[in-house]
Amino acid sequence: MSTDLDDTELQSSRRRFMQAAGALAATVVVPGVLLYQTGQSANAGERTPRWGLLIDTNALSEADVDACVQACQREHGWHSEDGSRTDAQWIRKVRLSDKQNGHQRVLPMMCQHCAEPPCVDVCPTGASFKRADGIVLVNKHTCIGCRYCMMACPYQARSFIHEPLRDQLPVAPRGKGTVESCTLCVHRVDRDGANAVPACAEAVNRNDRKAILFGDLNDPDSEISQRLRSVGTTRLRADLGVDPGVSYQGL
Amino acid sequence: MNGLISTLRLLLLAACLGWLLPAGAAEVESSGFGEIAIPQPAKPAAASACVEPVEIMRREHMNFLMHQRDDTVLDGERGSKYSLVGCMDCHNPSDSAETAVRYPDPQHFCADCHRYASVRIDCFECHADRGLGKSQQSQLQPLLDSDLTSLHSFRAQLEHKRVD
Repeated sequence: MSTDLDDTELQSSRRRFMQAAGALAATVVVPGVLLYQTGQSANAGERTPRWGLLIDTNALSEADVDACVQACQREHGWHSEDGSRTDAQWIRKVRLSDKQNGHQRVLPMMCQHCAEPPCVDVCPTGASFKRADGIVLVNKHTCIGCRYCMMACPYQARSFIHEPLRDQLPVAPRGKGTVESCTLCVHRVDRDGANAVPACAEAVNRNDRKAILFGDLNDPDSEISQRLRSVGTTRLRADLGVDPGVSYQGL
Repeated sequence: MNGLISTLRLLLLAACLGWLLPAGAAEVESSGFGEIAIPQPAKPAAASACVEPVEIMRREHMNFLMHQRDDTVLDGERGSKYSLVGCMDCHNPSDSAETAVRYPDPQHFCADCHRYASVRIDCFECHADRGLGKSQQSQLQPLLDSDLTSLHSFRAQLEHKRVD
């Protein structure tokens, strides 16, 4: 009995100690929490965006797709050396043809910025990652160049840099031994937010015809969400369940 | 006892002076080893002051850049006053690729001290080792007041990490 009492006393004193420690911890922690919340309060009430693209293949001629590729090259300073399989390809020209009637369609193919990116799943160092806003990137500071992500990507969107480079552009650091892919022009997105226009879209969009539309898929009122609701679109290899952020119209 | 302490003090003072004086003289002339002069990288003509006082930048620039790079890559923070692009825009601006001073060149602002201190970095295997001037710089200007936002996010993240 006495041991029971002792136990109870011990427990209650232990509880008191934990409460006191908790209070102490709270006073220590609270300034941090408050600061953190203050930092976040600017975004309070807003949902996190998920950036995506809607590509209208009806509005894109083959020359337009070439212009997309060139604009991406200019923006990020990559270029194809000799057409070999090891060339960098942030965005590719893909030709689809209907064998029955010979109808052809050309479309630009870049990283699809999946919601469930396989490249992120397989990365051994965490260098391949998805930002909070849905942009899938390679953190080249931690990339070890193993190229698992290139194997895992069903869209073959990534390239590996085999040769030393020089004179890279400030907005697009790239170097030998790392994997790279379309960044959805992340430097423009960070600057302009929902009003950003990626370089490929800038190259082909005319005044009223937006062949490549960039926008927030999580915002039901954004232009891209409205258009996705109103027109029929296709997401490539939707059967894989990777939930790509790029949709194609007119396939 | 007091006499002993004052004698010791005098001895200590003499020893300190003995250490300091030749060292000061050596700094002016040369550093000794193979007559390598202490680097005095030129200050940029365009800007009046660096983002921090020189003494702090000398010791901490690598930490500033390391912190900023994770903020930028992972969280998309572009407004930090510490940025490698910012360093290059001020300290190694160039209009043409032909005339630019490259990192391996000892004349490069970074290479000068790194050579002296025997520091080997790989920043410039990927990053631009020269400032591209206004055309590219304008792309990187953040929309908001950069210093204030970066300071807030820096503090917030620091506190957040502490809580974790």
